[in-house]
Parts: sequence; structure tokens; C-alpha cells
Amino acid sequence: MSILADDGAVLASGSFSETIVTDRVGNVPRRVTLANGSVFETSDNAAIDAVVAIIAGKRPGWIHRAERFHPRLVVFALMALIFIVAIYRFALPALVELAVAVTPPVVPEMMAQGTLQALDATAFDTTALSAVEQSRLREGFERLTARSGPGAGKFSLEFRQGGMIGPNAFALPNGTIIITDELVKLADGDSELLLGVLAHEIGHVELEHSLRQFYRSMGAAGLIMLIGGDIGSGAEDILVQGGGLLALSYSRSQEADADRHSVQLMAKAGYDPEAIGRFFMLLETRLRDGSGTNILATHPGTPERRKAVHEYARELRSAH
Amino acid sequence: MAYSDHVQFGRDDRYSRHRFTFTGNAKEYFGIWIVNVLLTIITLGIYYAWAKVRRNRYMYGNTALADGRFDYHARPKQILIGQIIVIGGIILYNVVLTFAPALGIVLAIIFGIAIPWLLARGLRFNARVTSYRNVRFDFTGSYWGAVKAFFLGPVIAGITLGICAPIASRWMLHYILGNLTYGGRGVKTKPMLGDLYSIWWLPALVAIGGWILVTAIIFPILISQIETLSTATGTGSPFGSVATLVLLYLSIFVMGSIVQGLYSAGVRNVGYSATTFDGRHYLLSDMPRWRFVWVVISNLILTIATLGLMRPWATIRMARFQATHTEMGFDGEIGEILSTIKDTGSAVGAEFMDIEGIAVAF
Repeated sequence: MSILADDGAVLASGSFSETIVTDRVGNVPRRVTLANGSVFETSDNAAIDAVVAIIAGKRPGWIHRAERFHPRLVVFALMALIFIVAIYRFALPALVELAVAVTPPVVPEMMAQGTLQALDATAFDTTALSAVEQSRLREGFERLTARSGPGAGKFSLEFRQGGMIGPNAFALPNGTIIITDELVKLADGDSELLLGVLAHEIGHVELEHSLRQFYRSMGAAGLIMLIGGDIGSGAEDILVQGGGLLALSYSRSQEADADRHSVQLMAKAGYDPEAIGRFFMLLETRLRDGSGTNILATHPGTPERRKAVHEYARELRSAH
Repeated sequence: MAYSDHVQFGRDDRYSRHRFTFTGNAKEYFGIWIVNVLLTIITLGIYYAWAKVRRNRYMYGNTALADGRFDYHARPKQILIGQIIVIGGIILYNVVLTFAPALGIVLAIIFGIAIPWLLARGLRFNARVTSYRNVRFDFTGSYWGAVKAFFLGPVIAGITLGICAPIASRWMLHYILGNLTYGGRGVKTKPMLGDLYSIWWLPALVAIGGWILVTAIIFPILISQIETLSTATGTGSPFGSVATLVLLYLSIFVMGSIVQGLYSAGVRNVGYSATTFDGRHYLLSDMPRWRFVWVVISNLILTIATLGLMRPWATIRMARFQATHTEMGFDGEIGEILSTIKDTGSAVGAEFMDIEGIAVAF
């Protein structure tokens, strides 16, 4: 391959196999780099394509042909939109289910141990509850777990002083359920209420919520990264924050599922199915938590949860 | 604006002044963009590296100054390898943080130590794959320079509630522009702190005004709605409070965009206009700040309203706006400037910045 001046003089030459011709991108001038490093540049893209076609027998890249302004671009745009929606609506949940199904039991075990160690080191203290109080709750807890899907062997109950975390109960993915002294005190002797809360936490474990949440947030981040490269930083910010809001709505629906699970399990074990509703009542009166559902919250509004529990319990009763 | 007038008065006739030009068009770029998006989705992200190269070749290749143009030389495989390493690192970090939080903290410290190095390498990669008139740029910034510009600067700007932001911006300009070389000759950036403060007070006033507006108008509405909701124990429609929250979020977002746009345009003007190449040639930026804010916000609204389809048009519009407000004054013949070409570094750092959204474009 040679580069000639107008008068026919050879400016540079080299074998074509060692010549690098840049791919065509829009109307950007092409660059031909010869073996000796000399560079020839031209905006006559058609001529370069013709030369390459003759020497190498190659047509210009299919990507450039696809990119040209043509009605088919409308089809591409529709396909991109459909793919994004389909990945979010169908592929992501399916992948999450698949990932949950193939995750070996050691994974939730490690997740749980790591979390418990971190909480013990930062917030928790050893429990100050009397042995009598502990065994009374443990008895009820065993009655509940015996009737749960995975059976009693899957679960264990731990007591801790909550410290800055306050009155609360947690489910770890390996089946460990933690209840804080502050929550026991708040219940003021109503152990059926506490069992309602524990049944809610058993629901989180049985429905594998932590694992699902973990895979889902990873998948959503991946999806944003996938399309994020080309949409600009402002739109990307909005997408990331929108993704956060969707994750919160997902978390709220998990809470509602666990509430219903509590109603079911309590009924099965022969307790008051609406015991968890008494807990919500307590939150409303003692902690003055009367807020409505908020799109920025991980849990649905407390009065709303109490009403949903009441309705679900009535539904169950009439079904029997 | 006072500072750019000041800069322009200082120039005499021996300079040949050239505006940057951008010749890309939205019609052509739309095809490149939509094929990039589609193939990136179909290939589950692998095509991203190729997409980035095609996008940058289009954008750089359409940017010209005098009779020369810019070019982007990164090879997709370099970017792909860097991308795999960085995504692998992020996955490793998230997995470790979930399963063993204590070990995750150790890993976070290791990553924290590595980030300035990655940023410096990324800037170097970007500079080295960029050419003008077939001569490559290079970047010679150090690890500690990156610590100062990317860590120390934001921290002191943050803890002083933005009062020290011009100091941070000065470090950033020094680091990013002042460490560039082109054809082995250096770029020098000497922004005066006084000039940076002269563009600081306008966004600062807008920020204060914005806060007063938000706290005086929107918060009271929000609080009254929460109160009515709780007294009605959940019987009230939740739509009212959701609408107010969205309004609150939008007004804070728009306010933030205005403040950020005003400030970043000002910093660009001051920083570029205090930059010289090879001690003789000068760079100049004279972006009207409110016009810049208008371009940013209208681009964002159009992009969202069209589900992203107007994004290529917005990109082209911004590139054209920036190019027409950037000037280079040459002291003598441009053709003299020729140089050595060095090989490129690893792409790891460059991809890291892309993922983190810290786009440090030349």
C-alpha cells in the first residue's frame, strides 16, 4: 500500500498486512497507519472503504452499517426499551430465584455469623433477662418452629441487650432469631405478643428474605451499570436513587409477607393470630408511631400494618 | 464576566487565536448511541468496552482546533480487562462485606489506599490514549497529588460547608490540568484563589436562597400533611404526602444542579483561563454560567421525558456548547510542536473512574 502525492510521487509505502486502518465511526476522518509509522488521514470514508474492500475483500464493518441513520434505528430503540423492562421485570426475579435455589446452606450460615459478630461487637450486650422469662419465650418459640415449614431444627433463639438498637427483633438468614431485652420489657408480660413478633421473624427466614434482598440489590446495581455508561451522570443519579426507592418498596412488601406469615403460624400453633397486631398497637400508643406509609421507609406504616393483619386474620377465620 | 475580560485584555496581537469546534451531529450520533446501548444489553455488558471506544472516537474525532483534530486511541480489550478487574473487585468487596463484615473493613481500607493510585493511573491512561494532530498527551500526576485533590480537597470543602471549596478546586485544577503534558511539553495552571472566590459567591448565594425557600415553603407543607395523616390514623390518602416528597426531592435536585452548574462552569472558566501550554500558548474558557446551567437542566429534563432517547442530542449540544466557549491562543506556528509518543498504561484506573461516575474527561 502506498500513499501518493498529486503528482504521483510516493510519499510513504508499506505492505497492507502491516497497515492499520481505523474502523469507520460516523463521519470521523479515517487514519491509515503504515508499517513504518507514517500516518495518512482522510475524511473520504467511502474511498477508504472501497480500497479496503478491494485489497482485503472485506465490506466495511457491520456495526457502522447498523449505526447509519435509517428507520431500523426505531426498531433498535424499541428493542432496547423492551430488553431493559424485560430484564427488570422477568430476568432479574428469575435470576434471584435461581441464585437462591443454588446457594449452598453454608452461605446464609456465614452471612449470619458475620452479622451477629459485628452486632455483638458494636451494639449488643449480654441479656439481663431472668432464666424464667427466657424459658417461657423459648417454649412458645419451639411450639411455633415445630409448625413452621423447615421445622424446629432450623431455628434458634438468642437474647441480647439491644443498646442503641433499642426494642427490636431480627432474623438472620441461618434461622437465628434475636430478640432484645428492650422489646421484652416493652411487651410488659404479654408473651403472646412477643411470639407474634417472633413468628414474623420466622417468616423472614422461611421465605429467605435476606438472601433475596442481597441478590436483588446486586442484580439491580448490575443492570444500572449495564445501561448507565451512555446516559449521562444526571440521569444515572436519578436511576440509582429510583433503584433505591424500588428496593425500599421491595423491602416493604417483604415485611407485609412476614406479617401474614405471623398470622398463619400463630393460628397453626393455637395462639391468637392477631397477636402481632397488639404489637403494632403498642408501637402506636407507647412510641407514638402513627405515621402513614412513606416511600422512603423500609417498613409499611404501623396503623396500616395493624389493619392489614386484622383483615388477613378475619379472612383466614372465614376460610375455615 | 470580569475575570475573562481581564484575561483577554492581557493578550496582544502576536497570538493566533483559535476557537475549538465540534462538528458532530445528533442524527449521526443517535445511530452510534442506540447500537451501543442495544449491543451492551444483548452482550450482558461485554460490548461496553467497544461502545466506549466508538463513542469517544466519535466525540474526540469531531473536536477540532485550528487545522488539527483530536483522536481517541484506546483499544477495547484494554478497557475490557480493566473493567473485569474492577467489577471483580467490587463484587469481592460486596460479598466479603456481607459474609464477614470485619474482613470487609480491612478490604475497604486496602481499596481506600489503592484508590488514589487508580485515579492517577486512570488520568494517565485517558491522557495517553488522547491525541491532537497525531501527537499524544501524557499525565504525570503523583499518588499524593491525587490524595490531595480527590480526598483532602472534598473533605475540607465538606467540613467547611463549601466555604473552602475554591481551595479544593484549586488543588483539583493543579492536579488534573497542571500535570498534563503534550508532546513532552508541560501544561501549567495557576488559578488565583481570588478569582476562584469571585465565581464562588454566586452559587453560594443561590444555595443559601434555595435552602431558605425549601425550609420556608416545602417543609411546613410536608409537616402539616404528616400531622393530618396521623390524626386521621391512616384513613387519609397517602398521595398528598408522596406528592410533597417528590416535590421536595425535585426542588432539592434542581437547586443542587443549579448550584453545581454555576460553580463548575465558573471553575472551568477560571481554571482554563489560568492555563498555559509550554509557557507561551494560552487556553481560555468563557462559558456564560447561567447558559451552562440552562443547557445542563434542559438536557436532563429532555432525556428523562423521552426515556433517554434524546440523550444523544443532549450530548452533542453540550459538546458544541463547551467547544465554542473554549479558545487556544498560539504564540507562533502550531506546526513546530511535535513530540515523542509513549506507550499506554493499564486501563484499570480509567474503568474504575467510569464505574464510580467520576468522569474526568480531558
